[in-house]
Formats: sequence, structure tokens, C-alpha cells
Amino acid sequence: MAVKVAGRAASAGPARHGGQPEPAEFIQLLTPEGERVDHPDYPLDISADEIRALYRDLVLIRRIDFEAIALQRQGELGIWASLLGQEAAQVGSGRALLPTDMAFPTYREHGVAWCRGLDPTKLLELFRGVSHGGWDPKAHNFHLYTIVIGSQTLHATGYAMGIQRDGAVGEDGEAVIAYFGDGATSQGDVNEAFIWASVANAPIVFFCQNNQWAISEPLERQSRVPLYLRAHGFGFPGVRVDGNDVLACLAVTRKAMQAAREGQGPTLIEAFTYRMGAHTTTDDPTRYRLAAELETWKLKDPVERVKAYLVRTNSADEKFFAALDAEAAQVGARIRKSCLEMPDPDPRTMFENVYAEPNALLESERDQYLSYLDSFEEDAR
Amino acid sequence: MTRLALSKALNEGLRKALENDPKVLIMGEDVGKLGGVFRVTDGLQKDFGEARVVDTPLAESGIIGTAIGLALRGYRPVCEIQFDGFVFPAFDQITTQLAKMRFRSRGNLSLPVVVRIPCGGGIGAVEHHSESPEALFTHTAGLRVVACGDPADAYEMIQLSISCDDPVIFFEPKRRYWDRAEVDTAGGLATALPLSKAKTVASGTDVTVLCYGPMVRTCVAAAVAAGKEGRSLEVIDLRSLSPLDTGTIFESVRRTGRCVVAHEAPVTGGLGAEIAARVTEECFYQIEAPVLRVGGFSTPYPPSRLEEHYLPDLDRVLDAVDRTFNY
Amino acid sequence: MSELRQFKLPDVGEGLTEADIVKWHVQPGDKVTINQVIVEIETAKAVVELPCPYEGVVAALLVPEGTTADVGTAIISVEVGAQASVPQAGPQPLAPRGSTSADLVPPPPAEAGESGSGPGEGQPEPGEGGQDTAGPRLHGSPARGQAAEEDQERQSVLVGYGVKPGSTTRRPRKPAAPAAPADLGRTDLLAKPPVRKLAKDLGIDLTRLSGTGPSGSITRDDVQSAARGEVPASGLRATEPVPPARDTVLAQVAPVAAVAREERIPIRGVRKHTADAMVGSAFSAPHVTEFLQIDISETMAATARLRTLPEFRDVRVSPLLLVARALIVAIARHPVINSSWDEKAQEIVVKHYVNLGIAAATERGLIVPNIRDAHSLSFAGLARALAELAGTARAGRCTPADLRGGTITITNVGIFGVDAGTPILSPGEAAILAFGRVKDAPWVHQGQLAVRKVTTLGLSFDHRIVDGDLGSAVLRDVGAMLEDPLRMLAWT
Repeated sequence: MAVKVAGRAASAGPARHGGQPEPAEFIQLLTPEGERVDHPDYPLDISADEIRALYRDLVLIRRIDFEAIALQRQGELGIWASLLGQEAAQVGSGRALLPTDMAFPTYREHGVAWCRGLDPTKLLELFRGVSHGGWDPKAHNFHLYTIVIGSQTLHATGYAMGIQRDGAVGEDGEAVIAYFGDGATSQGDVNEAFIWASVANAPIVFFCQNNQWAISEPLERQSRVPLYLRAHGFGFPGVRVDGNDVLACLAVTRKAMQAAREGQGPTLIEAFTYRMGAHTTTDDPTRYRLAAELETWKLKDPVERVKAYLVRTNSADEKFFAALDAEAAQVGARIRKSCLEMPDPDPRTMFENVYAEPNALLESERDQYLSYLDSFEEDAR
Repeated sequence: MTRLALSKALNEGLRKALENDPKVLIMGEDVGKLGGVFRVTDGLQKDFGEARVVDTPLAESGIIGTAIGLALRGYRPVCEIQFDGFVFPAFDQITTQLAKMRFRSRGNLSLPVVVRIPCGGGIGAVEHHSESPEALFTHTAGLRVVACGDPADAYEMIQLSISCDDPVIFFEPKRRYWDRAEVDTAGGLATALPLSKAKTVASGTDVTVLCYGPMVRTCVAAAVAAGKEGRSLEVIDLRSLSPLDTGTIFESVRRTGRCVVAHEAPVTGGLGAEIAARVTEECFYQIEAPVLRVGGFSTPYPPSRLEEHYLPDLDRVLDAVDRTFNY
Repeated sequence: MSELRQFKLPDVGEGLTEADIVKWHVQPGDKVTINQVIVEIETAKAVVELPCPYEGVVAALLVPEGTTADVGTAIISVEVGAQASVPQAGPQPLAPRGSTSADLVPPPPAEAGESGSGPGEGQPEPGEGGQDTAGPRLHGSPARGQAAEEDQERQSVLVGYGVKPGSTTRRPRKPAAPAAPADLGRTDLLAKPPVRKLAKDLGIDLTRLSGTGPSGSITRDDVQSAARGEVPASGLRATEPVPPARDTVLAQVAPVAAVAREERIPIRGVRKHTADAMVGSAFSAPHVTEFLQIDISETMAATARLRTLPEFRDVRVSPLLLVARALIVAIARHPVINSSWDEKAQEIVVKHYVNLGIAAATERGLIVPNIRDAHSLSFAGLARALAELAGTARAGRCTPADLRGGTITITNVGIFGVDAGTPILSPGEAAILAFGRVKDAPWVHQGQLAVRKVTTLGLSFDHRIVDGDLGSAVLRDVGAMLEDPLRMLAWT
């Protein structure tokens, strides 16, 4: 699979942060103004219906994210990691997956969760502190959120090695996608995953959302070379895509996943995007980045450009947008309601699922603690 | 019955596991073609193939991390960490992921991974090849931690660990790899002592001596020597470090009234401290003396020419036994 | 129908315990929608906008601008109407009608300078009032001048709800249920290490002691008593004076210092326990004591004759035996005397068995071991049980089981040489019979003045359970049986 690597980009020196300037080479199929462009390596056959569906995904996931931030500000969630600005990277790659593909997210991939059919309420449990992850990974082929940076890339690689051993590599095969950010590329585990995946030729796509910031540290503190070029050092292809372009992300991920499925081994996709919000709700980006940078990226908004396209091509009318607004409001209200109604876990559950086999010590601790709780007069908690 | 060295008993046990379950994989540095630096996996790649006995990149975190992924896919990986002192790059994956994923997923995810770690000193090695890090893992909820002390146990316990659905940290006493004993490789595991049970290797009346891994042989020798002096030691091989078989421990201490714990790991913050606290709490009325611990000093492991001073030997164990009679 | 809801200042995840109200964006009377920004608060040099959790009309702003509020304080009240739960088409964060993205992301704060002066460097911040911001601000804006200069570092926790203050008072516990004694394994020798050491130092063999501590363990007091070689007096030999405590000298406790004007005896062990029981009993049950003086000559004679019988050859027989039997018969005739008052269940529990307690004075204090199911013992059996009880009490070997579960008590005050007493009920019982000394006294016997063996019986009872007529009836019956022991046969 040929990878378009611009010579200039390769020798461009330290990666610049804040999208200043825009990288010389990345795959783009929809400009920020909403115009379709073609790329010879990524022909995209997509209908108006499908684009409207993608737009709906983008709008709804942005609304869910917004509602979650509000809930955190109202004390209903302990923390929330916003995906504002990264909707296209997540929806584009998420919609490129087949149901049998397995996804390993970090903790920000709410857009991918949406595409996998996961009820967004389930995502809230972790952030509300009700559980460490509210869904069964096998039900949606979407692993739990992993908070240790980069750790999941090894799990994903091992899973892909398991696919190989199951003989499930082929045209109708299965593949794995591992999500991580620009900061994670510095972690040993991510680099080890690259080693293992390449040496084993595992059916895995490494999808890096380069949102330019790892909390307060810009990309230039993580790498001297553009991230997608790192793959070459490990011996597999890397490609950079406009992470704010849902069509490009869709096309590039589809192609890479198919290559993995068919046994061509791993690909690194660097989705060049921007973290419009804070790292999490407890972060204050004004302490380390300039407002002007944010302004620049607003002009490249991932959701806006799709709307512009739909309007420009008369692919959607006022009725469509109004109905979508209404649906978004309903989704937001539903998220809010589910969050507020979420019950606290029973203390008993703290002692469950630590081991597969019965454990006498744990059982006696639980029994003692429960009777200790019972020894208090009123139900204070 | 065959007379096998402990390392060979492990080899036989691994072979049985690979035969019995096609999902069992072995992975680690040099485990395939070389058969492992201690030959514990000798011959297995030849017989079971490279897909099942995997020579991995030199990356401990990667070994455990990919093993987790394989386990998520339904496999039962048996990882080898080449030496105790090199487990630390994998410590993150073991403690933040391997130990916690069942709990994190509320039982939806199961990681039946075994991490084999040759441990302990007494082989005249350079740094990082003589560590006893078991307390770091017994302190981590979600992990089973076991240590085999003799060839027969090695053979059975490795198989039981592999078939256990919980992640197991499996400590092998490297200086005992060449100890030989009778092992029944023909019989199945139906009559094997469960993985969570301790084993009384010498019965006695005066003092209960608790040990595991490389110290079992030392404590049995100590019991024989003590017997000649008219003192009767009961030696118990704990086998399971987490969970502890407290039933066996307390029954013995209540009978003898005295307890000594012996391990190579440093005494401070070691597993002996946990045992001493529990024994004191549960057997308070029956103990004649405080629980005494014998183990390494609160120093990093010394150069090999000093290791005899560091490692507890027969005399140090019996010194502790004597001291329990000073109360 | 509307409802007044209050929004309490949340902990926005920065370890806040308080925040300053910087600027209100709404006034009472304004309509508000869910997630509409209503106020800016200041935390750790950043200003955070709070979105409204309710939809309705602002009723009141509860905390004025410029003041500090604690997390958890209500800051605004909103009248929430019965409206649809779908938020109105107020400011929405969705793709707006216009084609700019300006409304998607709140505009950043205007910077006072461009040259990289970071936020919080003391630059005054122009206000942002009047913006139609659609959602919560996602990053703070530079603090106002003064606050920025204050070096008030609030601890940012960064990853969670923030730090909760720990409690400073204890939560009240339910009254402890009596714990079942733990299975302590080897139970023959329960003694804590300090007690073992004491025993060793005093040369006491622990295996020959019975403990009075929890679960029958041997206490320090037990060891010290054994060291002093004391024999606890029993209350059974009515006609003998109490043997004086033998002060044999093995006590090697602290050497006697110069005689002090006061001596302090720690309240511990048996004495403490008995005192607590007495206080509990005395101050919960209204005690009434009635007395009956009787001619006990027949009982004394019967006692002497019993001693000659082979069945009683090897067992100690005293008048107490007949007193005990008489009481048991009286209970059969008046069961309610053998009951207890269950305050919690508001029930009187009438026991249909008799665990007969015999008060025994020991060196350590008063204990009341009881004979279980005394009502089912034969006469000889009862004699043996009484003798055994005396022996155990004297040796200090009563177990906690012996001391629990009594249903009625006899106390022999006669051994102290007095005629009568007003005994205090054993806890949980309804009556206690005091048996005074037997003395020769003038009595009208068969119409003539004679010298007879006379004694006084005293019955204290719990007047909540036992009325005067019942108490008197029991006392009369006991008296009658002791005056003529054949009545014991007649009434069974």
C-alpha cells in the first residue's frame, strides 16, 4: 500500500504545534469550507444519505459531550474528558469499522462508542464514579476505557495476535483498531506495541488522534518528527489525515482496516486535529495556550464544514436541520435524566468480581464491613 | 513416578498444559528456540510450534500487555519474565491492568494469564537476578500469588495455575531448579493439593515454621537439625501467598504456641509481617511468644560474595526458633 | 404546579471548598433554561461559568456578587414550572442558523496583552457581560486583578470530585449485641501475654486456674487472687460463721509503703461487673421488699434427718436446700414470680424453667452463679448441685456460662449474722429471696411460749411485674413449706 509521504513533511523539522502552519501533506476529502476534493489513493463513494447520517452523528455526539460538561459543572459528574473538536476523527474512524472489528479506546472516544452502538449513558458511569466502566466490551466490541496512557495499545496488539491464531485473517477477516493520543506516542507501551505489531504483522490499525496537546504540553515536546512518520521506523506504513474531515477519516480508516484484515499488517493513522476544549473539566487551557490558536481552529470546525457542504449541495433542508436540533435536545435531556437518576453502587459490590474463585479473606472482610455498617444507628450514608 | 529436577518438573507440567488445552500459549524472551535460559521450556516450541511457544521481543511490558490482549481473545497465555529483577517494566501492566480488569469490568472480562518468575538468590549472580518481589504482588488485590518449593508441587501447581481463571504470579525458586525428587507425571490432578492450600512438610509440636519457595528446603533441613537437639519443629510450605491458607497456619500455631516466618525477601514490609499480624490477632491467647521473622536485611541485595550473609540459612532460622523460647 | 428548586454551589472538581461569586448573569424574574449560564464563580485563579440545572423562572439570587460561598450552599432558587422536559429553544450549542462557528465554542476571554503574559499575572480582566454565550465556558478566564495577586493556591485535585472534609464527630452506634465468644481453639488456657508474664513472675501455674475474664480467659485479678491464696467465702453454711479470709502471704505485689490516709482500690473485674448489674437493676425495676418471720424448727430437724439418709451421705445438706426446694415449689404455684420484664418488646417473659441463682460472696465480690433447670432436679440432685456450686464459687472457677441466664435468686444473708435484708434483684429477674440467720427466739408454739428456731424471710420483687398479693402469696408459701416441710410434698 503506497503511502503518500511528502518529502517536505519528512524533513520539516520539529513538529509545530497549534496547526501553525497546516501540515503540507495530509489526506483531505472535504475542505473546511465544505467543498469536496478527491484524493487518488482514497476514492470515496458515498451517498447524500450517508453524509447526512454522518452529520447527524457529529451533531449528536457534540451535544452529548456538551451536556456532560454541563453536568460536571453542576456537580453531577466528577470529571469529563471532552472530545470537542475531535468529532470527525472519531465518527469517521468509528463508522469505518465492521461489527466484527474490535476497538480499544483511551478515555475520550465517546464518538467511537456512539458508532459502536453503546448507549452514551453507560459512558457516564465512569465519570460519575459509579463504576470503572459501565459496559460489557464483548457486547459492542468496544473495550472499556483505559486510563493508563497507552496501555491499551498492547492489549489491542495482543488481541490482534489472537485473531491471527484463530485464523480470522482474510478478506472477511477481523481487525483491531487502537486509539491513543499524541502524548501517548511517547509511552514505552505504545512503542512496544508498534514493535510487536510489526514483528508479528498483526491485523491492527493504530489510530492516533493528534489533537496537538497532552494536557499542557504541545506536540513538539513529544516528538521531533511528524507522528505518522514514526511508523516507518518500525517498519510499517503511516499516513496523516485531516482529523477534522470526517470523510477523509472514514476513507483512510476503511482502507487501513481492510489491509489489516487481509493480513497486510499494521498501519499508523495520524488524525491531525485539535482539542478545542480542555484536557478534562478540571483543566484550564488559558494557562498554556493562546486564544488566537483556538480561533484558527474554529475556522476548521469538523461539524460546520459538513453542514456547509450539505447546504451548498442542497443535500439537506431546513426541516432536516430543525428535526436534528430537536433530536439533539432530546438526546441531551435523556443523558441528563439518566445521569441524575443513576443510583450509587451498593457497598457490597466493592467486594465482588475481584477474583474468579471464592476468596475466604475477602468474604470475611465483606461480612465484617457489612455488619460494621449495620452497627450504626441511622442510615447516615 | 519419575525422579525429576524442579525445572524439568515445570517443563513436564507446561507440556501437559499445552497438550490439554489448545488455548494455552507460552511467551517470553528466549523461551522458544533456546528453551529458556533455565531450560524450563526446553523442547516445547519444537513440539507445539511457534504460534504457541513464542519468542517475544525484549519488552516485558509488551509481554504482559499482549498477553492481556490474547487473554481477552480467549487464550490462556503463560508468560515468562526471565528474572525477578526484570519484572519491573511489566509492573504497570501487571498491577494496573492484569490485576484489575475483572473488577473494572464487573466480571465481564477474565484474564487467565500466568506470569512465571524465577526468583530468589543463592546462585552467585550479579544485580537484579536474585530478587524476591512477592510482597509487591500479594499487596495487589486481584492477583493470585503462588510459590512452588519442590518438584512435585512445581509439576502440579503450574498446571493448576494455568487452569485457574484468575491471573497468577507464579514464583519459581531458581536456586532449587536442580533439586530432584519423585514426581508422579502419570496421574492426573484429581488428587493434587488445591492451589490455595499450604502443605505441612514436617510435623512437629514445639514451633511452627512458615516458609515458601527457596526457603522450604532450608527450613526442612533446620527441622532435622533441631530434632537432633530435641526440639520438634513443624514446617509448613505456604505454597499460596495470596490468598494465604490461614486455616492451616492458625491450626498449627494454636497447637505449638510459637511461630517463625522465614523468607528471602527483606523482613521490613515483607509477607512475614502480614502473617505475623494475622497470627497475633487470631491466636493471641495461644502464642507464648511474638511471631518472629527471618529474612533479608533492609538493604538492596548485596554482591554475590556477600549473599550468604544476606540470605537466611539454617542457623538463622534456628536462631529465631531459639529466640521464641526466650519469652 | 411549580416547585421552588435550589442550586447548591457544586465542587467543580478542583478540590473546592468555597468559591467567590463573581458575576450573576441573571436577575430574579428572568426565565432560565437548562444549561444556561447563570453565574461566574472564581476558583484558583480561573473563572468558571456554571450552567443552570433547572428550567423555570429565577426566584432569588441567594448569594450576592463579591461574596464567598461554601460548596454546598444554595446560591440561587428557581421556580420550576410544570413544563416539558425538553428544553426550550433557548441558546443551544448546536449548529446555529448562521454559518459561522462562532456560537459553537464560547469566545475566549479578551486578552489584556498579546505578548505571552499568561493568565493570572495581575492584569485586570474586562468583563464579559452581555455575551450570548451558549454553553459553559470550557476554560477559565484570567482572574481579576486582586485575586490574581493573592497567592491563594487552592489545591487542585484535577481528577475527581475533589477533597471532602473528613468528619469530626463519631456516628452513633447501636447498642452492642452480646457477641458470641469467638472460637478460640485451644480453650484450656486463655491468657493474654501480660497475664502470662505476671503468672510466671508470681510462680502461679495457669493451668490450675479458671478465668473470670471474657470467654473464660484468665485475668490479672485471677492470677493475683491465686497468688494471695485466698478462698472466696460461700453463702451456704448458714450455721457456721464465715471463715476469715486467710491472708497468707504469697502476694508479692508492691511492697507496702508508709500507711496512707486513703487507699484506692481500682474498680475492676467482678466488683465492677456486679456494681453495674446492681445499678442497672436498682434503677430500672421498682423494688418492693416484704418480710415474713417464721418458725423454721421443723426444717432444721428435717435437715438433720436428711443428713443421715444414705442418699445424702456424700453430699452437704443445709437448710438452704429446703429453702431452695420450697422456692421452686412456690414458683410452680405462682409462675409469674419467675419472669422478666422485656422493655424493648414490651412483654413480660414468664419462664417455665428455673435457673436458680445462689448469691455467693467471694473475695473479688458478689457473684451469682445459677443452677440450670433446678426445677427438674431430684432432691438429691439439687443438693449435689448446690454443693458443687458452692465449691466452684469458692475456688473462683465459675465460668461466664454459670453466671448467665438465671431466672430467680436466693441470697443467704444469714451467714453475715443478720436477721433480714432488702436484697436487690439480679438483672433480668422478677424476685429475690433473702434468707436470714436462724436463731433461737421466743415463739408462740401450739399456744404456748417456747424457744423455737426462728428466721426471717425477705422477698424483694419487681413491682412492675409482681403485685403485692402475688409477692405475698409466694412469700407465704415459702414460709409455710419451711414451717412444715411436708407441705413441699403436698404441693407437688
